[in-house]
This record gives sequence, C-alpha cells and structure tokens, in this order.
Amino acid sequence: MSDKSSAAFFRAEGVLISRGVVHAATWMAAQRAGLRERAFRFGQAALAAPVFGLLGQNDRSLGNRIAHLAYREMTSDRIDVLAEEYVEDMLEDHVLDSGVELVKKSRAAGHRVVVISEGISEIMERAVEKYFRGVDELCCNHLEYKDHKATGKLLEPVIGGYEGGRWVQAYAAEHGIDLSRSVAYAGHGPDLLLLSAVGQPCVVNPDHTLRKAAKEADWPVVDYTA
Amino acid sequence: MGAPISIREAYEGRHVLVAGGSGFLGKVWLAMVLQRIPNVGRISLLLRGKGRGVKERFEKLVNEGHVFAPLHEQLGERLSDYVSQRLEVVAGDVSRPDLGMEPQVAERLRGSVDLIINFAGLVDFNPDLRDAADTNVMGAVHVADFVRSCAKAKLVHVSTCYVAGQRDGRIPEEVQPLAPSGEPIDASEELAYMRRIIERTELDNESPDVEAHLHKDVIKRLEDRKGGANERRIRDMVGRLKRKRLRETMAAAGTDRAKELGWPNTYTYTKALAEYLLLDRLAPEQFAIFRPAIVESAVEYPFAGWNEGFNTSGPLVYLAKTWFRHIPAREGNPLDVIPVDMVCKALLIAGAAVMRGEHAPVYQCGSSDRNFLPIDRLTELSALGHRRWLKEHGESALHKVILSRWDALAADPDHVLNLGNIRSVLGQLTRYLRNGLPEKIPSELQEAADRLATETESSNRRLRQIEDVLALFQPFTHDHYCVFICRAVDRHPVIEPELRFEPESIEWRGYWLQVHMPGLRRWCFPTFENKDREVYQPVVPFELREALPPGAGSEAVELEKETG
Repeated sequence: MSDKSSAAFFRAEGVLISRGVVHAATWMAAQRAGLRERAFRFGQAALAAPVFGLLGQNDRSLGNRIAHLAYREMTSDRIDVLAEEYVEDMLEDHVLDSGVELVKKSRAAGHRVVVISEGISEIMERAVEKYFRGVDELCCNHLEYKDHKATGKLLEPVIGGYEGGRWVQAYAAEHGIDLSRSVAYAGHGPDLLLLSAVGQPCVVNPDHTLRKAAKEADWPVVDYTA
Repeated sequence: MGAPISIREAYEGRHVLVAGGSGFLGKVWLAMVLQRIPNVGRISLLLRGKGRGVKERFEKLVNEGHVFAPLHEQLGERLSDYVSQRLEVVAGDVSRPDLGMEPQVAERLRGSVDLIINFAGLVDFNPDLRDAADTNVMGAVHVADFVRSCAKAKLVHVSTCYVAGQRDGRIPEEVQPLAPSGEPIDASEELAYMRRIIERTELDNESPDVEAHLHKDVIKRLEDRKGGANERRIRDMVGRLKRKRLRETMAAAGTDRAKELGWPNTYTYTKALAEYLLLDRLAPEQFAIFRPAIVESAVEYPFAGWNEGFNTSGPLVYLAKTWFRHIPAREGNPLDVIPVDMVCKALLIAGAAVMRGEHAPVYQCGSSDRNFLPIDRLTELSALGHRRWLKEHGESALHKVILSRWDALAADPDHVLNLGNIRSVLGQLTRYLRNGLPEKIPSELQEAADRLATETESSNRRLRQIEDVLALFQPFTHDHYCVFICRAVDRHPVIEPELRFEPESIEWRGYWLQVHMPGLRRWCFPTFENKDREVYQPVVPFELREALPPGAGSEAVELEKETG
C-alpha cells in the first residue's frame, strides 16, 4: 500500500452550491454604485448565461470570462464588502446539505479535502469558511486588480475549463497525494479530466455531456437538489 | 535620525502645563499620559473658570467622559489619589495676559514648568472674528509671552496642517514665508489690521443707519405678529438683533480677510497668524509647532472608535447616509484623516524632543504622506458602511431596501444633481404649490398641496444647512490637493512600542468600517441629531484632592509600577 495520502476533490458548483458564477456576478453587478453602471454591468454579466448554456458542457472559460467582466472598475473595497454580504445573505439558501455531508464523510474517511471552484476568491474563501468547515485547500479564480480596482479579467489559470483537471495533477504531485486512492465529485463536462484523474470518481448532478460519459465509463452518478 | 528616545524617561519628573486640555485632542492626550506615563512629574491643567468651579469642571470631565474610562477601570477607587498626585487644575484663560492665572500661581509655575502644550483653539471654521482672535491668535501670543517669562519652559504649540490654505501639492514641514495668496505677510501688521477690522465692524454696527434699519425691522415684525409694541420691548429686540448682526458681520469679516489672503476660513487664517507671531516672539530652541491634520476616531486609546462632537469627516459620513448622493469631492484628492491616539503619540514625541532640545521647528501629523486615503475611497467606504447598517437597522422598508443601496458618490460640485439645483427645483415646486394651482380645485386637493408645500419648504431648509456644511468642507474635499509631509517625527525613534507614531499601520477599510463609522454612530451622530450624548458612569466617582505631593506614599509607587 502506498504511504501517500489521499484526497477528496469537490467541484463547488453543482456539488456543494446550487448557484454558479452568473448568479454571483449578476448580483454583484446589481450592487454597483450608480444606476447606469448597475444596468450596464448587470446586462453584461447576464450575457454569460446563454454562453454557459451553449458552451458550458465543453468549456466554461469563455462564460467565466464574460461573467467576471461585471467586476470591471469595481474597487477591492466594494468587492470585499459585497462578497461578505453575498455569502451571508444570498448563498445560505443555495448551500447543498448533501454536499456538506459528503465533505464531512470525506474528512472522516481521512481524505484531504480540496474544493475547486469557478467563483472568485473573495466569495469562495468566505463561503468555504462559513459553510464547509474542514476544507484543507481551495482552488478558485482570482480577479486581476490595478490600483485597487478590478480590471474585469481573471488571473491565470482560469478555473472552469480543463484547468481543474490539470491543477489536480499538479497539486497531487506537489503534496504527495496518491490519486488512485483519491475521490472526486463533479458535475460539468469540463470536469472529465478531473474525474478521470482519480481512482474513485463520482458524478454529481451532471449535465448531459457528463452524464453520458459517466454511463460509458460506469462511474457512479448521484443526483440531489438539497 | 536621532538617538532613540524613551518617552517615559523624557517625561519622568517633568512639569507640564497644558492649555486647552478639555478639548477632544487634549483629553485623549491627558488620559494617555496619566495611564501610560505614570512617572510624569506634574501636570498643571489650565481650565477656564474660577476657584472651585474649575475643580468641579475637571471632576465632571473625568467622571462623565468615556475617554477616562480605561483609567477608571484600571484604578477604580484609587484613581482619585493617583490623579491628584500627578495633576492640578489651574483657573485661567489663554486669551488674557499671564494666561489669566492668579499672580501667585503664575509665579509658581514660571519657576517649575518644563513644557507647555497649547491645545487651546477655537475649531469652528467661521466663528466670530473676535472670538477667533482672542483664542487662536492672542491665546498663542499670551502663551509665548508666558514661555519667555519662565525659567526653563519650552512650548509645543498645536496648530493645524490646514494653515497651508489654498496651496496645492506636497506641503513641507515649515512655516511658509508668504500667505497662501502669495502676498508677503508681516505678523504684527496683520494682527493690527485684524484689530482694525474688528473695530470697524463694531463701529459699523453702532451706526445710526444700522440702528434705524433694525428699529424699522422690529416694528414691522411686531406689526406682523400683531403683538404689543412698547418702547422697552422694541429696545430689547433691537439690542438682540444688533448683537446677532454683529456676530454675523464679524464672522463674515473674518472669512473675507481669510479668503483675501488665501485661507479658506477664519480658523485656518487665525491659526496661521498665530504661527507667524510665535516665530516673532520665541527663539527656535524654545518651541515647536505641531500640526495635526483631520483628527478622527481612536484606533486603540482610550478604546477603538472613541470620538466626540462635530468633527470634520462626521458630517460627510452622515451625509452619505441620506438620500443626497453627490458629495462634492475630486476623485483622487486626499482627505488627511489621522486617528486621535496616533496624534497624541506624535505629540508626546514632539514634546519629548522639545524638552531634550532636539526638536524640529514644525511637526506635521497626518496620513496623506505615509498612508494615502483618497476622498472617493472614503466616500465609497462610507456608503458601504451605511449599506450594511441600514439593512439591519433601517427605520423602514424604504431605508432597508432602497436607501441602503443608494450609494453616495464623489462628484463635481457642478454636477447637475448638486444641492443648489435640487434646492432650486424644490423652491419652484413650493412656489407652484402655494401660488400656481388653479383657484377652483377641490378642498382635499388644496389641503394635500399645502401639506406637500410645507414638506418641500422644510426639506429645502435642511438642504440649505447641508449645502452650508459642504461649502465649508469643499476646499479640503475638492478644491485643493494637499499632501502634508509628515517626516519630522521620524527623527526621533521611540523605544516604547505602544507610544510609537505609525500611520502606515492603519488598514483603512477595517478602520473606516469597523472603527470609525461605529464610533461616529455612537459618539457623534447623536450630536448632529440633537440627541443626548452618552454619559459615562464610573463605579467610584473621581474626586480631585488638594495638592497631594507627587509620588507621595507607597501606594503611588505601586500604582506607577502597575500602570507602567
């Protein structure tokens, strides 16, 4: 038996939280200073929804990039303060209890718990701390800032495409994690690389592409709404 | 950079005379010295009033002021002895020669005082010029004259960074030879000119024309009110109106002269004049000028968020909570806010340097040079702070849902939605409701229109007050870009970590949202709203005892150890 440790990788969106980046970005856009700015940025963030609809089962990077344009010119003060409000007031009803249970079980099984998210660090760090105690590592997107203002761009690597899978490989190598003994929970098409990297993949609330792939690969599929 | 200073050693056994110690800054300094420098020799606190009155005033100050709460909590019933061993109150008034002290008291202090700190000042921006002249100008002159008559006393004169007036850019730590308008300024001549303005304004107020005009005005008012008009009543009313007119014309005369020379208001003009007069009266080794910027809520002493009264950022932050959105401010301009306890630490350092003869001529004490806070950031933080608070504590659903998201913005004073334009629209609406409606409309509609007109009139009055406040602050928030160099205090590295001046350590978001705004809400906004201020109630009331010798008894030694 390998002396390496094992990990449980959780894709936050769809597994732990029922809302994704479009929800966060449109809410943030609607809280900007100035009515004109609110309307414009809200529309911009909302544009990401059809993009996710069309391309999200294969590559979510473009949708992520469009959604996060809503943050452009927003100050780090505003993003931080609103992120706290979003996590406390908006996210609470969208935390999936079954996901929380999975985190607890993974922890009890001795896995290192790693959460991978398309969301921005300002939101996800707070969300993980508030709702998912016991998470060892968070890999999420980071906004680029210039003079305390967001540029609307995400720093590389942008999580959401196949980066999650690549990141997991690098993470396992760096932390001495035996992927064959590790488990992963995810629900989007681009998570295929992540799921196929571990010994025990589990598909949760999958989209059409992933459901089909799971069936062919004979991976367990779990559906829950709460 | 000089050799490290131990603040406690510098003040050990020293006698410090404090003028103006009952103000916001003075009280924090006093409490901090009593708590953190227990080996100070003696503090003589000059308070206006006579005999037992000053003692009772000081006791009230210590018993009711939250600033002394940490001392009460630490020392309890021992506080009276502890303070009495270190502090005496002295009746006096800086606007009078010899600081208005009894001759024998003045004589005693002349021989023993090591350091004088002059906090005394009238901080209203546009006060009656006579009051500003008495306190800000002649007060400084009398303190300087007293220093010259002392055996060894040196002076730290508390001024303000805003003596820079309408200058822009980086403001050095020096007394500028020219007025901000660029005119050369001779302090004695300017003082004489100021006195002539005061005399002329007083004479004008006594002129038969003014008397006749006011008399006519009073008669008209009484006729309007249909009140009885006997000669005595008319005389009383004319007298009252004359005094009111004199105060107003004095305030206007001060503002006019200040603006002529390039200062935005009487406060900065008179404080600047005091600096020039000190240069004429004292040798450089005898004094230092200490200029704080905008003194605001404490970071840690007496406790986080302590603030008091009608300070500078308070009205601006308060405005950000109202429906009025456009705060006249230029994006990127600094608002040089500095917490009161940091100012007190810098002042302690300057005082120690002066006593050691190692001081700089001028110490500026602000944050803009070392930890820049732009006004637009401050406006946004204020809006965000109110957002959170209104969502939880808003008076109605309208406040919780809409006002909380209303978001104040830094905007140009000429913005189309500026207060002047809003007031103008409201004025027109009121006129229309009062006089423009058709004569034959249902009585219910007429009543509703009257009610609305009364509301718009009242809103217009409130907006007028806000407009006046904004006009006062506009020179600092919009018109000028001043960064006050603040490096002289770094010449004196301090040994005690808790007494170091470190404005770089302020994390503005946390300070603004978790320290300053809650402090304003608790300590300042009630004043704006004419509500009762919160009074501290110690478990054991403090009583100032008669002349206990410094360090008398073993208890004092124990307390010193404990407090130190």
